[in-house]
This record gives sequence, C-alpha cells and structure tokens, in this order.
Amino acid sequence: MVNIHPTAIVSPKAKLGENVTVAPMAIIHDDVEIGDNTFIGPRSVIYDYARIGSRVRIYHSASISHVCQDLKFKGEITYCYIGDNSILHEYVTVHRGTEASGKTIVGKNAYLMAYTHIAHDCVLEDNITIANCTQMGGHVLIQRNAVIGGLVKIHQFCRIGKFCMIQGSRKVIKDVPPFILAGGRELSYEGLNSVGLRRNGFLAEDLTMLKSIYHCLFHSGLNVTQAKEKIKFEYGNEGFTKEIIDFINTSQRGIIS
Amino acid sequence: MNQIHPTAIISDSAKLGDNITVEPFTIIKENVEIGDGCFIGPNVVIYEGARLGRNIKIYQGAAVSHIPQHIKYAGEETLCIIGDNTVIHEFATVHRGTKETGKTEIGKNVLMMAYSHVAHDCRIGDKCILANAVQLGGFTELDEWVIVGGAVPVHQFCKIGKHAMIGTGSGVGKDVPPYVLAADYPIKYEGINIVGLRRRGFTSDQIETIKKVYHILYDSSLNVTQATEKIVSEFPGEPLAKDIVDFIDRSKRGILGK
Repeated sequence: MVNIHPTAIVSPKAKLGENVTVAPMAIIHDDVEIGDNTFIGPRSVIYDYARIGSRVRIYHSASISHVCQDLKFKGEITYCYIGDNSILHEYVTVHRGTEASGKTIVGKNAYLMAYTHIAHDCVLEDNITIANCTQMGGHVLIQRNAVIGGLVKIHQFCRIGKFCMIQGSRKVIKDVPPFILAGGRELSYEGLNSVGLRRNGFLAEDLTMLKSIYHCLFHSGLNVTQAKEKIKFEYGNEGFTKEIIDFINTSQRGIIS
Repeated sequence: MNQIHPTAIISDSAKLGDNITVEPFTIIKENVEIGDGCFIGPNVVIYEGARLGRNIKIYQGAAVSHIPQHIKYAGEETLCIIGDNTVIHEFATVHRGTKETGKTEIGKNVLMMAYSHVAHDCRIGDKCILANAVQLGGFTELDEWVIVGGAVPVHQFCKIGKHAMIGTGSGVGKDVPPYVLAADYPIKYEGINIVGLRRRGFTSDQIETIKKVYHILYDSSLNVTQATEKIVSEFPGEPLAKDIVDFIDRSKRGILGK
C-alpha cells in the first residue's frame, strides 16, 4: 500500500516500497528506489539515481540526488544513497556523486537539519547529526556519530573523525581527528567531546586515555611526527592510539592544531 | 519545441524562446523573457522583469527577479538580466533592481550554488562562481572570474575586482582589488590568486608583475594614495598595474586591508 497525494508526480518507473507516503506536489523521478515506510514531504524532489532506505523522513522542499555543482561533471550516471531512519529537514540539498567516486552516501540514522547541503562524493557514516545551514564542499568524509553545529563551512576533501563535535559557525579547512571537540576562531582542539563519548558508552578510563593521547599531540610542544612517535612509545600502537595515528597518517589536508 | 509541464503556470504575456523545459509547479509571471534552450526546474518562480539569455539552467525552488529587499523600493518596474549558460542552483534567490540603477545584472557562464543570494542592483561579471549560501548585499559589483567561498556575506556597495577569490568563513566589508586572494576573519589580503590565474593562462611574468604591484600596495609603509602614485610611476603603460590602479580609483568603500 503506497500513499501518494493526487498532486504529487511519481514516475511509474520509480520503485517504491511498502507504505511509502508521498505528500502533495512532491516529485519523484524515474530511476529512484525508496524503501518501506519512508515519508517524502511536500514539494520535495527526488531526482534520478537516488537510493533511499526505509523509514526515512524527507521534509518540505528537500532536493535529493540533484546534479552536482562540480564544473567537471558531465552528466555521468552516479548515485545518491540515503540510509535507513535518516531525517532530512526542510530545504536540505543532497547532490549525487561525480565520476571520481560515483556516489554520495548519507548513512543510517542521519539527522540533517534545515538548509544543510551535502555535496557530491561526500560520505556521511551512520548516526551523524548536522545542525542548520551547514554547507560542505565535495568529497568530505564525516565518520560515524559526529555532531556538526549550525552554519559550519566544511572545505572540500576535509575529513571529520568519529565521535567528534564541531562548534557552530566555524570553518573546517583541515582534518579533525576523532573523539574531540573542535572550536575557536581558527578551528582547534578544545578538549574531548566528553559528553558525546559518555553518552555513547565510553568509560572514564577511555576518556583519560584519549585525553593523554591528545595532550601529547596538541599540548606537548612537539610537532605531529614527533608526537606520533611519543604516543606510540608511551601508549603502544593498538586500540585508540592506532585509530588516531591511522587517521593522522591518512590525512591529506593536515590536521587541526 | 518547448516542454512545459501541465502543472506549471505560465503567463500568456511571457515571451518564451524555443527548446525550453519548464518542470512541474513552476510559475512564470508576465513581463518575462526567456531565451532558447533554458531549463527551468520544479517549484521555481520567475517574477516580472526577468530577462533570461540562452541555455540557462535554474534548479528547484529558486526565485528569480523577485522584488528587492529594499525599504525604498516602491514597486517601480525594473529588470533582472541573466546572461547565457548561467546555472542557478537550488533555493538561490536573485532580486531585480530598484530605481537607482533599474536592473540587477548577472553575466554569462556564472555558477550560483545552492542557497546563494544576489540582491537588487548587483552586477555580476561573466564566469563568476558564488559558492553555497553566499549572500550579496545591494549594489554589489563583481567583475569577471570572481570566486566567492561558501557562506560569505558581502556588504552592500562592495566591489570585487576580476580574478579575485574570497575564502570561506570571511566577510567582505571593503572593496577587494583584482587578482587577490582575500580570506580570514576579519578579512585581509592573503596574496595573489595564483592557482586561478595559472588556470586562466596568465604567464609567470604577468603573475610576477601583479605580485610586485601588490608588494607596493600592501608591504610598504605607504598609504593607499602614496602607493598608487608609486605604482603609476614604476609601472608606466603596464596594463595589469593600470587595472589595479583603476580599481583603486573607483573604490568608494576603501580597499581591503592587510
């Protein structure tokens, strides 16, 4: 049973799951797949090559899988995936990928508030929250459980580590390593995202460990290479240490200070 | 042959060229002219006074030629002119002019990304890029090839010279001279837009000249008037220096600081 308002325009080629609701004046293009129990709000448009999961809620005027703003894009077939249980608020825009990666991915349980823009080839892992009007360039990676404040500008190709929190109104032009709270005029380490970590079941000793690692990285007066050596020497190269060092080692844009 | 969706509402007096696509729920008002090959996405509204060139793409929810956000605007008939091949992304807004200049003008091959706003009486040169959520105040002038980074507000009456690039996270409150990279908060001169200039075929000699000119303007202890005089005397007949000096001469809000 699919519940489509008579003023909505749904392509007969689109594959809609069970119990999908399409509100008035929404438009669903041809090559679209939508999972069960998903809600497509009024005036929202789902363009070709969207792959939307189950129980997703897409609100008023959102634009999903639109062609991207990359000048190199030549109309190639690329995809836009939205994971199960995600919520996309009013005027959110999610663009599909370019030939570089072929897809834009929003993971499960994402919460994207009004006016958020997810650009081409971005990957948002599961459980991401993004507040109003945050704008990102292409190829951005946001790892799981990160929380991004409102009006944040994220430069293309930046990466934000898991369980991070970014203060509102900031600009992200370098990679933000996992587990931390980043803020300040020039985005920098402001401590661990302690509240977020505790809520996600991290223990007091985990927080102490992470704090010492980041103290070594940001507050010991060492440069990044020296700090990495010291961290490996003092805390071994497994668990949190390995995750953080791997993140730093794979960083293309450098990490924040 | 135009493809107009039956749910679109188009005024009988709107003048449409050939090969135009109008998607569902879009509204086109009277006194609008649209050139050949344009694509008008869904839920777009094109208001009175719009003059669209050819092969323009306007995507979902955009508002073109809407009435200005200007207290003195009293309903006068003004225009909003958009050049060929320009692309306007989702939810972008372009307002028409007031009686001051009579028109808002966007050049050819401009890219306006999602949520960006061009206010009344603005003049945007060819090949400019406005990234997401850029907000221009009224009477703003952008010369050609300007790139404005994401979510940057530009104060009314500001001018940005050609080939300049504005970094994200800043805000433009003074005039930004040509060829410059301006960024940070508060905004300041950060050098020359070298990547942009190279991509557009400027030679190393030309870039070197621009660097020398800005070295005088920004790195010496001279004030702007003295620096301008020195530039004129040291680079006689040099077109790049002339561009920069001319821009400084027509600046009303003062030049970007260092």
